[in-house]
Amino acid sequence: MTSETTVNRASNPSARPRGADENLGELFARWQQRQDAGAREALVERFMPLTRSLARRYDRSSEPFEDLLQVASLGLLKAIDRFDPARGHSFPSYAVPTILGEMRRYFRDCGWSVHVPRGDQERALRVRDAQETLANEHGHAPTVGQLAQYLELDSEQVLDALQAIQAYESLSLDAPRPGAEEDGTTFGEAMGDEDERYELVELDATVVAALDHIPARERAMLYMRFVKDMTQTEIAAQVGLSQMQISRLLRRSLDQLRALTRDGVDGG
Amino acid sequence: MVELPNVRLSLANTAENIVVVRAVLSGLAESGGVDASDLSDIRTAVSEACNNVVMHAYEGELGAMDVSIELGDDVMLVIVRDHGVGIGEHAREDGPYADGIGLHVIRTLTREVGFEEPLGGGTHVSMEFAAHGLEALYPRLLAGPDLDLTGMMPRFTAAASIAPVSLARAIIPRLAGTLAARAHFSTDRLSDIQLLADALTAHAARAVCEQHVSFGISVQPRDLELRVAPLRLGQAEGLIRASDLDGLGRVIEKLADRHEILAGESHETLALSMLDQRRR
Repeated sequence: MTSETTVNRASNPSARPRGADENLGELFARWQQRQDAGAREALVERFMPLTRSLARRYDRSSEPFEDLLQVASLGLLKAIDRFDPARGHSFPSYAVPTILGEMRRYFRDCGWSVHVPRGDQERALRVRDAQETLANEHGHAPTVGQLAQYLELDSEQVLDALQAIQAYESLSLDAPRPGAEEDGTTFGEAMGDEDERYELVELDATVVAALDHIPARERAMLYMRFVKDMTQTEIAAQVGLSQMQISRLLRRSLDQLRALTRDGVDGG
Repeated sequence: MVELPNVRLSLANTAENIVVVRAVLSGLAESGGVDASDLSDIRTAVSEACNNVVMHAYEGELGAMDVSIELGDDVMLVIVRDHGVGIGEHAREDGPYADGIGLHVIRTLTREVGFEEPLGGGTHVSMEFAAHGLEALYPRLLAGPDLDLTGMMPRFTAAASIAPVSLARAIIPRLAGTLAARAHFSTDRLSDIQLLADALTAHAARAVCEQHVSFGISVQPRDLELRVAPLRLGQAEGLIRASDLDGLGRVIEKLADRHEILAGESHETLALSMLDQRRR
């Protein structure tokens, strides 16, 4: 009977969907009623592309893809065990929620909220370091596409990492940076010199209260960017920080300045 | 009068624009404090709905992809619209769409999903998601004529209409950054674009003449134009002046390479150009 189905499919390719469905029903019967492991194997093989494609949807998490695929495959096995062909639904309509459910449970159990940010942070640090390497090589900041190619990520992952750098305070100014080990210089130390050089005497004429509330190092960066018209990469080289940290600090201090100015206006 | 969605995003149905939709969803969710696993579900399901518009709605042709987002208490509603072939083709279990697993993914990850085929053609997929942590901080606002952002396409690579205006800060810097990356901007200049978008969105509320604010962004290689409207007459200049931070000058003027004020009869538009010249 099985061989007949196979012959039908081979000799009449145009009838494939129907033939495939009949074949599926037969495979489920063989596994669920007669515990024929070969039939289960055939079902797993048939639906592995679907399983793989579902696992890929969560590939942005910190979990290695192989682990995700393993969890998704477990979901597939559960679906194969529990699917009831007599109800008239297609197998994918039953299997997809089962597999996704398995993956979501896995993430919940192993603490999604703990894992994802850590993965993001590690990636963010890699992107930060690659940005510096490529900027040094080319003499100017790389594009997101160049970073993606260099790190074998996609552009969206690089963009998400850039976003993470804005978000995580833990990528702190004192985090070890490539090359920093030799002289033990941290940002705080490097900025010590810059404070002298960019003493804000030059701004005295125009400075008002708000800018005084910004820490000296951020004030110096704002001055370099907006008064001296230096690029962020140039500022980064000058103060011994990454361009992405400059980006974050500029963004934050501009926000602070706006808030202070607004409060001043509203208060007056 | 019609009720405005909090965000309405208009894009062409290309695969790379799905990344733009995801960036906007992430910006909204992260600024709203939405639980990370809820955000992951939202991103996944909305990507599937958009992917359907990219793959099937226009049968290989270019067309509009509209995404509306409404924010509530612990809930986010996302509607993906196209004006292509109808729903019959998409929603049937044995239709061409069923071979993909998008529909199953959407059904699994949403609280509720609805498919609608409006009279004028096309498909609306409405998805309601759990969004734990989200507060209904943004009241739904009423506007006069419905905003026809699709009329702005293909003039813009992406257009977004946002109500209330204060919500723009969660979206526009991210949207602009994503498009700048596509246009081969360096990380350096990409960050400048986000600083510019920060400045615009921080001051926009005082300058607009409606309940909503619209942004249109067009990109070409190393060239990005950002337009903001509808501004009260004289307020495009006012917006630039408002970005003057003591001692630093007008931040908007310093970050943009060019700006232009397009005056209409009742309102004006501020157009800003950013280039990446690799000047050194």
